[in-house]
Amino acid sequence: MWTSRRRFLQSAGVGFGSLALTDLLVADGGPAPHHPARVDSVIFLFMYGGPSQVDTFDPKPALNEWAGKTIPAYRKEDSFFTNETKPTAFPSPYSFQQYGQSGMWISEKYPHLSKHADKLCVIRGMHADSNNHGPALTQMNSGFILQGHPSMGSWLNYGLGTATRNLPGYVVLLDKRGAPVNGNLNWSNGFMPAAYQGVPFRPTGVPIVNLANPDGVSDSQQRARLEMIREFNEDYARADPAESALEARIASYELAARMQTNAPEVTDLSSEPAFIKQAYGLEQDTTADFGRNCLLARRLVERGVRMVQLYSGGNRGPEEAWDAHKKLVENHDRQCAQTDQPIAALLQDLEQRGLLDRTLVVWGGEFGRMPTQQGSAGRDHNPFGFTMWLAGGGVRPGITYGETDEFGYRAVKDKVHVHDLHATILHLLGIDHEQLTFRHKSRNFRLTDVYGEVVKEIIS
Amino acid sequence: MNLLPLVMRATVALLPTSSADEGGHWAFQPLRAESGSSIDRLVTRDLSTHRLSTAPRAAPDRLLRRVHLLLTGLPPSPAELSTFRADSSPERYAAVVDDLLARPGFGERWARHWLDLARYADTSGLHQDTHRPHAWRYRDYVIASFNQDKPYGRFIREQIAGDLLAPRDANSWIATGFCRTGPSNEANIGAAELKAYRLDQLDGILSTVSSVFLGQTIGCARCHDHKTDPFTAGDYYSLLSVFNNTADAFVSLEGEAPGAPKLFSPKARKAPKIPTGSGIRALGTLPESQRKVTRILERGDVNSPGEAVVAGVPVVLRGIPAKFSRTEPSARLALADWIASTENPLTWRVMANRVWQHLFGRGLVGTPSNLGVSGSPPTHPALLDHLAIVLRDSDGRIKPLIREICLSHAFQQDSAYRKSAHASDPANHLYWRFPKHRLEAEVIRDSILSSSGKLNRKMGGSGIKPRIPSEIITQSMRNQWPRVKTETATHWRRSVYIYLKRQLPMPLMELLDAPDSSESCALRFESTTPTQALALLNDAFVNEQAGHAVERARREKPDAPAQRLMELTWARAPSAAELAKARAFLEKPEITLVDLGVVLFNSSPFVYVD
Repeated sequence: MWTSRRRFLQSAGVGFGSLALTDLLVADGGPAPHHPARVDSVIFLFMYGGPSQVDTFDPKPALNEWAGKTIPAYRKEDSFFTNETKPTAFPSPYSFQQYGQSGMWISEKYPHLSKHADKLCVIRGMHADSNNHGPALTQMNSGFILQGHPSMGSWLNYGLGTATRNLPGYVVLLDKRGAPVNGNLNWSNGFMPAAYQGVPFRPTGVPIVNLANPDGVSDSQQRARLEMIREFNEDYARADPAESALEARIASYELAARMQTNAPEVTDLSSEPAFIKQAYGLEQDTTADFGRNCLLARRLVERGVRMVQLYSGGNRGPEEAWDAHKKLVENHDRQCAQTDQPIAALLQDLEQRGLLDRTLVVWGGEFGRMPTQQGSAGRDHNPFGFTMWLAGGGVRPGITYGETDEFGYRAVKDKVHVHDLHATILHLLGIDHEQLTFRHKSRNFRLTDVYGEVVKEIIS
Repeated sequence: MNLLPLVMRATVALLPTSSADEGGHWAFQPLRAESGSSIDRLVTRDLSTHRLSTAPRAAPDRLLRRVHLLLTGLPPSPAELSTFRADSSPERYAAVVDDLLARPGFGERWARHWLDLARYADTSGLHQDTHRPHAWRYRDYVIASFNQDKPYGRFIREQIAGDLLAPRDANSWIATGFCRTGPSNEANIGAAELKAYRLDQLDGILSTVSSVFLGQTIGCARCHDHKTDPFTAGDYYSLLSVFNNTADAFVSLEGEAPGAPKLFSPKARKAPKIPTGSGIRALGTLPESQRKVTRILERGDVNSPGEAVVAGVPVVLRGIPAKFSRTEPSARLALADWIASTENPLTWRVMANRVWQHLFGRGLVGTPSNLGVSGSPPTHPALLDHLAIVLRDSDGRIKPLIREICLSHAFQQDSAYRKSAHASDPANHLYWRFPKHRLEAEVIRDSILSSSGKLNRKMGGSGIKPRIPSEIITQSMRNQWPRVKTETATHWRRSVYIYLKRQLPMPLMELLDAPDSSESCALRFESTTPTQALALLNDAFVNEQAGHAVERARREKPDAPAQRLMELTWARAPSAAELAKARAFLEKPEITLVDLGVVLFNSSPFVYVD
């Protein structure tokens, strides 16, 4: 083995410095982390379709008083289904109680999660720019409404490198009902190289496409193929020591072989004890799928994956996600039941393993829902005021931050825009969102465009 | 699906020079001819200043493979190789170049470069990823244009204003697909966002037109006067007004002449149902009663309209003579004429640089869609002007320029490493050797099919949908990709014909850095990742085609199939040492010729052009 190659391998996969070391050009990102990181990984629990804030974490008694009456906050042009959405208040069908030392208000639909109320940092003043799923998802994932920009997981891996040699740094776990609208664009690398794209994992069996040997090819046969490839590639590279991309090709096959050997282990849950499987709800039909993804998320961050994004909700229709246009109760009963116990188990499991301190858990959708009524019993999209919560390292636990108006229609106090949330998440990972840039079309781009302020009040 | 990339190669961007006071920027100056200049004289001149020289001519196999791959995207056949080995004289080589330029494969290869710029796809992307039943007509138009060697000026005018230029010519309407092929979301846009959405759509057209044809990033002046480029918000909205009163138009191609365009109102929230019959989605002009005045938007905010503007070219470029009509729709034609004018130096420099880039793997200007103040300066300014003049003065035809470059010694020289030359010019800025580079996704797939003998040469028509692993099909639920169990000849067409679904590009293509068609792409990445390796190693397509290549090798050389396999894949004669290695490999347990085929498809000599 040549020394330059060894040096290359040693340097591969550990962040900014590694790419610079190989003197292979990468767009200028600047050195990172910019300051000590509070967490190493992010688990983003994406409630696709838009969960209703006034039915989960932001109770609004005023809606009962105004039931059936036109609320002053209402404007017709705010709604997505302008012809179906009524101006009248639609009180929450759910009751709320205070939980924990913090007295956090949580709806009755979260009997498990409410036991962890003191771990949550609930942001009630979220707002975003689009009341349409496609652009809103794109914004929550990439900061921009239009497609073509890298998603947050891409930025994190670009900025920090990966901490694992055997797994991708950005994994996406989909609902069994399929991907949300936008499909792959949601975890797109945008204008960054394809290497920064999110990798959807299958929940069982071989997790990544092309990870298994081709049909009928044995492991020894595959090893022989890899050896032969290496010999030919070394011959070609040796003739041209100036072309470091050729050495990288050799290394890429060695990493590929390592992934083939090691990656399937992560989806093999046989080593997990029964009580863990039970805690995540793997034995009940309702919770089994999301529970398995939550357990996988824990296993992935444990192995150094930088960002895991889990989707609750697929794209077979509005009633297959949190998009409760028609029957709010039926929809949110189902979606909460599928996710409540698994999320509670994830928080507890992370805590017990000492991982919660180094992990940031993010919960929320692309927007919230209107406090007014759509049709007979539904709610329309609402990007003007909604709730998300954070838990984990660096975040003040057991607080609620920001407010919507008395109806939960619009964020009014301590508002947090999606850009601010992104800035805050990057901050917790040791990145200054204004310094992390990628040069594209002769301009430096950021996750936060030209906006975003770190929400210092929620940082511990 | 990727790990951290091991390498990302991009053209080394030199630091921008900001010496340009307005109007003084190099790219805005008229083209300057140097008497008696030629590519080799200009390349050698810079090399000799640094006491360097070009390499000797590449060996016949290497040269033939290079020129085949770069002009047609396909490797030479063993028969073509042996003919050239027997006579590789300059005359014979020139005849090869002429032959390749005349092949239909030339247009298929060079159209793909243009489609990257146009951000071509067969679906709308965004929310619904709606099928666009007629998009392929634009792709076929581009292929035909390159094959016909359409004058570049004409090509420009058709794509910006074909509807006005020749309304009786179907191709002219199809050409405006350039302005219509970006992502769109008409089917699903909120009422409150309609205005901003429409501005984004116009911005997409304007940014693409200005960066692709002029190499200028005028799009950046949308929100405010630009910090580095000399463009103002006034310039931006003046250009925007050229497109502000256009609309989506459906033009039926059922009859002998194109039907009257059916215009879709930009105010409609739901996209019009575009008929699936024979017709196209094109650019049309709104009737006079619906036209509106364009205003500067403060900070790009649709709710803060300011001063009204009239159509015009940016102030800093007004030295380039324009006969600008300020009324619409003729302003659009005037803009097209101004861009296509022989007096517009930007147009010719930008395109000449792209041609050089696609032959050498990188441009003389490293930022090919930005020849502005924030872009890189050219490494060889006189050479760039020489090429631009050749292009302009051959009636804007591209083939004569490609021919001249391919016949230069700079292009024909060897690509081998030389220690001393490398020490003085490590990045090979001066072209002391031919720069080897990794082949594009499409060329790799097409070369696999060409080696296996299974390439189906059928041209044109609606896009093909080869097999993608069924488990990833659900990653895009709208307009779903079909589940293909077994691929057949219908799938084995050239990659330029693959249906481009924005939400779910073919993994093999995407992993090998095919652009995502969200935005115009002037320079692809050359990334190297383990997931790329996994795809080339384990994908069913590669393994099946290796099997077909083996059958072919056995048929063609029954007594030496391994050697034939190497000739077919590497498009050169293997050395004795390489043959010995292959033989030793084949003696291992379980190993067959198919394994060797897969190995060869994964080898650097196969995925690189040198």
